[in-house]
Amino acid sequence: MAPLVQVEGLSKQYGSVRALAGVSFSVEAGEWIAIMGPSGSGKTTLINILGGLDTASAGQAVVDGTDVARLNESGLTRFRAEKVGFVFQQFHLVPYLTAVENVMLAQYFHSTTDEKEAREALERVGLGDRIEHLPGELSGGEQQRVAVARALINHPKLILADEPTGNLDEANEATVIQLFRELHAQGHTILMVTHDPSIARLADRRIEFAHGRLTHITQSLSVEPA
Amino acid sequence: MFWRLLWKLLRGSRGRLAVAILALVSGAMVISALLNLELDVERKLTQEFRMLGANLVISPAQDGQTQMPGAASSALMNEKDVLPAIQNLNDPAVVGAAPFLYIVERAGKIPVVVAGTKLEELPKLEPAWKIEGQWTPAPVDQPPAVVGRNVARQLHLSLGSQLPLAYLDRGSEFNVAGILDAGGAEDNQIFVDLAQAQKLAGLPGQIGLVQLSVTGTPKIIADYAARLAASLPSCDVRPIRQVTQAEGELLNRIRLLIVAMVVLILVLTALCVLATMAALAMERREDVGLMKALGGSISRVVGLFMAEVGVLGAAGGIIGTILGLALSHWMGQRVFGAAISPRWEIFPLTIALMIAVALAGALPLRLLGKVKPAVIFRGE
Repeated sequence: MAPLVQVEGLSKQYGSVRALAGVSFSVEAGEWIAIMGPSGSGKTTLINILGGLDTASAGQAVVDGTDVARLNESGLTRFRAEKVGFVFQQFHLVPYLTAVENVMLAQYFHSTTDEKEAREALERVGLGDRIEHLPGELSGGEQQRVAVARALINHPKLILADEPTGNLDEANEATVIQLFRELHAQGHTILMVTHDPSIARLADRRIEFAHGRLTHITQSLSVEPA
Repeated sequence: MFWRLLWKLLRGSRGRLAVAILALVSGAMVISALLNLELDVERKLTQEFRMLGANLVISPAQDGQTQMPGAASSALMNEKDVLPAIQNLNDPAVVGAAPFLYIVERAGKIPVVVAGTKLEELPKLEPAWKIEGQWTPAPVDQPPAVVGRNVARQLHLSLGSQLPLAYLDRGSEFNVAGILDAGGAEDNQIFVDLAQAQKLAGLPGQIGLVQLSVTGTPKIIADYAARLAASLPSCDVRPIRQVTQAEGELLNRIRLLIVAMVVLILVLTALCVLATMAALAMERREDVGLMKALGGSISRVVGLFMAEVGVLGAAGGIIGTILGLALSHWMGQRVFGAAISPRWEIFPLTIALMIAVALAGALPLRLLGKVKPAVIFRGE
């Protein structure tokens, strides 16, 4: 069976800065991959290219049989709507939409909205009582859980999380990480950028970057966090 | 979800959008008032122009039919040839028509110009003339005469005075029924009933000219004159060029002014919307980046914003037009002394203009479609 994600010789150049330099790796369906490395090492660039938010300068990035590097603007738009779900460090919720409307926004751009399904998604992430709240009325952890519900609502093949706990306190971080563990247990494929080794240890594999190059791929031991 | 999103967008940015809608309401109000005025100005102004008096004259052709000694005009026409032709055309544009026979008579030893006419037609023909007394008083023993104020002063006449007039060996006595203040040469004349003047002059059925007041544009007046001329081949039918030209030029200038103002206001409204939308676009960059990251196509995201702006334009147009029609009503009262009736075709026109202006001013929101999500999320 072909891997869900196949990256071959992927490079990205921003002017004179090389953000990615010939990166190659693959991800099987259902895997949780932690992407690590210092700031500016190319982690977010990789996530953006895999999610169709940015384009590669060279190489290929195949997600579920689609070479993202070869898609045009409208192809990338459909790809983002159908294949991937994003969870960002800054949550990126629309401030004037309620929690359920933020989830429905992803449905709207995918196909049609289903408020009942959106409410159920929020209930699954433990926000059944915060459905009609605006982002400004939610804690950071709650906002990130709304973002997770939004990322999952269209049943994407791949969840791309860019430091999803980077803006959370310890308690909220634990809640969100528990959510990702549940998603992983349900069989979701997750690529998560993180600086936190304790979170990275929860992943199936760790991919480490430095200066735009992939330096290590480490198989994690199945260790429960303390 | 579309309408829900639209409502949330409108609510979410109500502070900024209030500025845009204020500009649109103001623009729509002034534009609808001006357009309403423009559509009604022709009717109002032609009514006003008719205060200026006759604008069409029928006179004998140069090879005139009758010559008479002492008559103020050298050639005469038969009233039975001319007046029925006017009645036969039965054109509602004709506000008033009066035949005139001018003769120079004597009041005592003083020669005066006497105009025989249909006195009851003069208020319609010359509504700006002021008269002390009446044009057509209740019948008394003597026939009535309306005396120009200069003549009245010269002959020491007042209302109810007896006025003997003589022409050659004929004479008649009139009762002064009114004193005229026309502000022109008519203040030196005496107006009597046409039949009395014809009797005094010994010219039964004869007239020197007919003056008409015809409402409408210069083209309407010229068309009417042409039809009248066709039915009166032995007469000259001429618009009074100075009056009709002045009317036409004034109408054209007012129209040009209104159109120029409408264009200027449209541009200013669009600029105001543009400034507001530029600020709004900056605020929404992150939202657009997110929407695109979630799979929103450019057309769908920008379409949402354009729908929002279209709603603003329509709302501004509707509110502004209602206010504008009220404004034109008030302007009509102030400028013309009569309300300008609302023209309902202004509604769709102004609303369409406001939507177009709002969409034109929403250029910064359209440009948001080019936003790259990755660039936005990098915080650039």
